[in-house]
Amino acid sequence: MAGSRTTLGAALAAVAFTTALVVAADTPTVPNATVNFDRQIRPLLSDRCFRCHGPDSAKRKAKLRLDTKDGAMAALKDGWAIVKPFDPGKSELIRRIFNESDDERMPPPESHLSLSPAERELLRRWVTEGAEYRPHWSFIPVGEIPLPATSHGSLSTNPIDAFVRERLDAEGIAPAPEASPEALLRRLSLNLTGLPPTIAELDAFLANASPAAYEKAVDRYLASPAYGERMAVDWLDLARYADTYGYQNDFDRDVSPYRDWVIRAFNQNLPYDAFLTWQLAGDLLPAATREQRIATAFNRMHRQTNEGGSVEEEFRTEYIVDRVNTFGTAMLGLTIECARCHDHKFDPITQRDYYSLFAFFNNIDESGLYSHFTNATPTPTLMLWTPAQSARHRQLQGQIAASEARLAALERSARRPFAVWKKTARVHAPAPIAHLAFDEAAADTTPDSATGAKATLQDGPVIERESQGRTVDESKGPSDGAVGRLAGPDSALNGAMRFSGDNAVIDAGVRTFTRSDPFSIVLRLQPTEAQDRAVIVHQSRAWSDAGSRGFELTLDHGRPLFALTHFWPGNAIAVRATRDLPLHEWSRIAVTYDGSSRAAGIRLYLNGAPLATDVVRDHLYKDITYSKAAGDGFAEKAPLTLGARFRDSGFKNGLIDDLGVFDVALTPIEIADGGAGAAAGDLFEYYVARVYAPAKAEAAELQRLRREDSRLVNRVREIMVMEEMATPRPAHLLARGAYDAPRDEVPRDTPSALPPFDPELPRNRLGLARWLTGRQNPLAARVAVNRIWRMHFGRGLVASQEDFGSQGRLPSHPELLDWLAARFMDSGWDVKALQRLIVTSATFKQSSRSTPEQLAKDPENRLLSRGPTTRMSAEEIRDSALAASGLLTSTVGGPSVKPYQPAGLWEQSGTGKTYVQDHGDKLYRRSLYTFWRRTSPPPSMLTFDAMSREVCTAKREVTNTPLQALVLLNDPQFVEASRALAGRLLRTFPNNPSARNRDAFRTLIGRVPDAEEAAILARLFIEQRDLFAASPHAARSVVRIGESVPDPLLPPADYAAMTTVVSAIMNFDEFVMER
Amino acid sequence: MSRVEKAMNCRHCAGALPVAGLSRRELLNRVGLGLGGMALAGLVRPDAAIADAAQGADRGVLNGQLHHPATAKRVIYLFMAGGPSQMETFDYKPVLNQRNGEQLPDSVRQGQRLTGMSGNQSSLPLAGSQFGFHQHGRAGTWVSDLLPHTAAIVDDLCVVRSMYTEAINHDPAITFFQTGSQIAGRPSIGAWVHYGLGSDNEDLPAFVVLITPGKVDQPLYTRLWGSGFLPAEYQGVQFRSGKDAVLYLANPDGVTREGRRLMLDRLRELQAHAAERLGDTEVDARIAQYEMSYRMQASVPGVMDVSKESDATFELYGKDSRTPGTFASNCLLARRLAEKGVKFIQLYHQGWDQHDNLPRDIERQCRETDQASAALVTDLKQRGLLDDTLVVWGGEFGRTSYSQGKLTATNYGRDHHPRCFTTWMAGGGVKPGLVHGSTDDFSYNVTDGGVHVHDFQATLLHTLGVDHERLTYLYQGRRFRLTDVHGTVVRALLA
Repeated sequence: MAGSRTTLGAALAAVAFTTALVVAADTPTVPNATVNFDRQIRPLLSDRCFRCHGPDSAKRKAKLRLDTKDGAMAALKDGWAIVKPFDPGKSELIRRIFNESDDERMPPPESHLSLSPAERELLRRWVTEGAEYRPHWSFIPVGEIPLPATSHGSLSTNPIDAFVRERLDAEGIAPAPEASPEALLRRLSLNLTGLPPTIAELDAFLANASPAAYEKAVDRYLASPAYGERMAVDWLDLARYADTYGYQNDFDRDVSPYRDWVIRAFNQNLPYDAFLTWQLAGDLLPAATREQRIATAFNRMHRQTNEGGSVEEEFRTEYIVDRVNTFGTAMLGLTIECARCHDHKFDPITQRDYYSLFAFFNNIDESGLYSHFTNATPTPTLMLWTPAQSARHRQLQGQIAASEARLAALERSARRPFAVWKKTARVHAPAPIAHLAFDEAAADTTPDSATGAKATLQDGPVIERESQGRTVDESKGPSDGAVGRLAGPDSALNGAMRFSGDNAVIDAGVRTFTRSDPFSIVLRLQPTEAQDRAVIVHQSRAWSDAGSRGFELTLDHGRPLFALTHFWPGNAIAVRATRDLPLHEWSRIAVTYDGSSRAAGIRLYLNGAPLATDVVRDHLYKDITYSKAAGDGFAEKAPLTLGARFRDSGFKNGLIDDLGVFDVALTPIEIADGGAGAAAGDLFEYYVARVYAPAKAEAAELQRLRREDSRLVNRVREIMVMEEMATPRPAHLLARGAYDAPRDEVPRDTPSALPPFDPELPRNRLGLARWLTGRQNPLAARVAVNRIWRMHFGRGLVASQEDFGSQGRLPSHPELLDWLAARFMDSGWDVKALQRLIVTSATFKQSSRSTPEQLAKDPENRLLSRGPTTRMSAEEIRDSALAASGLLTSTVGGPSVKPYQPAGLWEQSGTGKTYVQDHGDKLYRRSLYTFWRRTSPPPSMLTFDAMSREVCTAKREVTNTPLQALVLLNDPQFVEASRALAGRLLRTFPNNPSARNRDAFRTLIGRVPDAEEAAILARLFIEQRDLFAASPHAARSVVRIGESVPDPLLPPADYAAMTTVVSAIMNFDEFVMER
Repeated sequence: MSRVEKAMNCRHCAGALPVAGLSRRELLNRVGLGLGGMALAGLVRPDAAIADAAQGADRGVLNGQLHHPATAKRVIYLFMAGGPSQMETFDYKPVLNQRNGEQLPDSVRQGQRLTGMSGNQSSLPLAGSQFGFHQHGRAGTWVSDLLPHTAAIVDDLCVVRSMYTEAINHDPAITFFQTGSQIAGRPSIGAWVHYGLGSDNEDLPAFVVLITPGKVDQPLYTRLWGSGFLPAEYQGVQFRSGKDAVLYLANPDGVTREGRRLMLDRLRELQAHAAERLGDTEVDARIAQYEMSYRMQASVPGVMDVSKESDATFELYGKDSRTPGTFASNCLLARRLAEKGVKFIQLYHQGWDQHDNLPRDIERQCRETDQASAALVTDLKQRGLLDDTLVVWGGEFGRTSYSQGKLTATNYGRDHHPRCFTTWMAGGGVKPGLVHGSTDDFSYNVTDGGVHVHDFQATLLHTLGVDHERLTYLYQGRRFRLTDVHGTVVRALLA
């Protein structure tokens, strides 16, 4: 640092210096070689200049952009240019960066960015050498890469080694020798299965450590079910997989079928392009299978909220944004989320590009809120039928269809008896099961004249009487309508109920209707204020807080709307009148529903005449009632309620009168305003429904079948998936990313800086997936190969796994990356083949021990001069302990489990949830099955750097903290595992401490202890045995930790001491490291 | 990311680097221990560089080079989760009492969005506070009668009555306050402070979290004290009352401290042998990690053990302070942690989300928090710690001046209100006896001196000697900071 600089200046200079060093360190360059644009210049321009002179058009200063060649080479006056190749003296960029005046110098001081003297010089050299300019490497399609010819060609036929050796030769570094067979097998086993090798596997391999034996082991591990589990862990971080919704109430949701699909996909070696395609758009594949649909749950793994009072549209927007961002990070390796609010600062992704991608993901029938009062699966969903359920459902559907057909046929055969009956016809409208006349009220109740029971007046709705000269107008009164007639003539008391919008009438005595029950509601109402939405009558717990579960009659901008809903909007039927009701006038509305779960089964009438309606939703496949058994938090009967609903918009200053509820679907003639209004067919319809015995019997049978089917369907599990709406929802550019600031509508499209979207492809997610996995797409294969490489070397060829953009790290071996990507695509995106190639390379098989020379020349092993060294993941550490102990349960898949966890964590977070720990085998499942609560993830996992899974994460940081030591030493899971292994060893070698220690060492870290280690372990055992012998009570306490039963026959002091020995080895560096 | 990469990343704000080989700082990072510079005592192979590292505590990425002189060395943040009503605490509004029951005028609301909880109410009746207000201290600051102890020390406080935020629901709002973004994934304030400034102590984490348990209300989530995209070592460590103050701290039943020591001695021999054999400094880090865990087993219970505190101290904090886990007890612990040099001490007290039954519930909340909050300031002051400790009291938003649900003579509720609320600060270089900002007669809009969440965060960092625009972390190609691209230091609050 220059001595004259202030502290502040020094810090700034360090900023500049650091990035340059990062760039150089990734790709060491020979000192006097030509300046390399990709490695040396573009990163500098990106980091220091693009913020004001980059892709973001809104923030671009002086209309100058340096992220394109045209921009950078733009001509100026008098023979100057921004950058004039070969002529730094006429290059404005050079003049500015060397300018000492604060007003002129670039980058300006207030940017907190600056260029070091060396970097300025580098830029000058670049211009002097001709200012080569190329697009960013990762945006150029993968080309054909020839294999390098190296002097080591004979050593290995693996192309990976050719690339790596070529580079090592250039740097003058010798590769490391092959790792010992023990180390190799352990590395391989952990790499491919996440579990350590067994002693039997070790013995077999050591007996024949030939290349053929190694390859056999590779194949065996790749074929093991544990392989898919190991591969899934990495993907689940990207997929933000968790067992709860996240956000504050953080309810549980079972999405384990998706997790299990990921495991299966890897185990079955599903081609990676299909792996991506199914997740993005499996639902859009021709004749999509259940597996392909389950895969789309990937797009629904984002957090969701049910926080009271949240704005539905705000959160729906967040979900789509999350899908887009996850697509960007997981599949494109780009940080496109920057472009949500403005053009990307560093990469050529405009805000318009962002919302063009957004448009692919916004077209599902979803809500921004999940339900607080029910356990409904947010729509759209996929029903996860068991084979038996499916068979029975199909059978019932067949029976239902047959019954409906019989009913239709009976209508025809009813003509003749109808002709006879008609001569003496009398219409007897059915009696209501509830009737509120609103003529009297006392002590906050009003009588239900149909039942003699009382309805409750909540918070003071009041009766207004005609005699008071207010608004009751009987001119359109119910003189002949069903309610008026059946309830008897209105008394002189004639009144109506006035509602405030907040108060309500609750008639709790009315039975609960299911979607299989025909029913009708008739009432008179008078709106007095124009409202966007007004609740008239419903049987439900709440609006969005219950996903609208139940039925409801509302006024939607004055138009009557009737809905039956399991979860709004995707699991519901609703119809809406095409006209609105007049204000300050009485309207008599009748609603009938036939129990069919179809929108066509709903009819609306105004003043006795049918109302024209639009179908708003027509997809109801689960029931509209609440059930504790189904997990609904609100399992009471939802009472029939008028005038208001929890957190909904009530009937403000509206009047309701003469409400009747019927447990049949009234026919038109029963509703018609006197016989005069009745159409010709109405009497016949009445006859079929009420008189003709064969039809009545068939209708009863039909209802029975529907009920049975509904009961069956209610028990079927569901999972959130993607499913397109018929009419695409328009997408708009959102100013500042805000949900309530829509601007121009944008069509579905891919970013313009990437290869164009083939017009032959469908403009939907499937087309997007095809575009992504097309040969011309420069990113998907590189990103995938890099991720898999990272799984084996602990570090990607591109170190910034999460960012292949301009600010990301450059590949350490660009040719190798591209060669692998090309080969990967050519192989049909064969993941296992790629991994086989990697793990059989000499590069992978090198010893990870470093020589002083390697440490000096390649301290971070970027050049792959030795084998990988990585700290195992949280999952690998716990799974290894369980596997070594013999406790591990090998079941694959299924609902998540709750192993040991310190008490009180969930309770303390205030979500009102209690951690109910599982028992038995569930304590010993692999860690990817551990229940993941986003607001309180398993603490021992977090301590070892696992993620909260709230958002897509491309890679975990690795840290070292004392808390990790505390977990390994004291977590009952690890203490119990130590004891289990100790017990086994004590039984196997009752009188041979050194054999026990040796086996413990081999089981846990895969090798035999050397003499010094053996001596340390021996001493450890003796010391601990002496301690425990002196304190038998303590010994018994140690071996009782955990729920598995300790061996009663083992001497407690030996048992506890051996437990301590095993625990010590589990805490040994080599247990948690892959080397 | 490897440790060295991380070190390089961190050094975006740090000092000079050698071009080749490992710097002292890199080495420190390689063997470093997270949780804030716990010293690397007990190393088996103390070669020169490691010994050098061992002598210095973690100084954070700023490496001790503050952007400007600090007025605070540490922060105690008393987070009142749920959103305390400003109108029953610090924002005296007699007009609301005069117009009790009248509708909130549209001219005041100005079309601002309401939550879905009261947004559909047909009536928005103004509700005056049912609790009296009086002026206190030399400054004559209005404080509610619910807060007599706070009123008594009001001349030590810097009361900001004009805080505002954008978020209207708890989760986004509290996440915004604690991480600078409404969306999950960013580091919390404490993590930023730890990352930037390191630690001043060798046996305890730099960032400690204390929660009053048993307050079922608006939930808290680990992300609020998480490290976001910063390495996990910067996340807050929760200290709990009961057997294991820190998760997994206690030895398993039957394992004594002596037995553990012996085991760790042998384990250290194994590790040292491996370090020799493998030539990997990661192993040295592991050794230090275990020694630190052993020391924590003593240091954490030590700092949590309040039995030696005087009766006078317990009286100061109130009788609850003798009950572990209470807010009062946590305040006392906060002072003890501050004495030990813990840099960021975050308390949470839930229960302020009073949509209904506000008069009853807020009285209880105030009873639980008033005396101890005031005692903490007093205690720090009498021990000379207030000068360099910033104490903050406040929630994630305020509450509406109209009643949610029915307004009766004795009862009302208040919905969430992001447009104005009160937070106070004390010590650490903020101006004592100051009342900053004002709101309209309805406590609905800020009329003067608005302080946005990002302004507050910028000011907090400023007291620590940190320029909020320059404490950054490169993640996904972008330099992130606590205040995103916003925030202005509120100089008027600074002494």
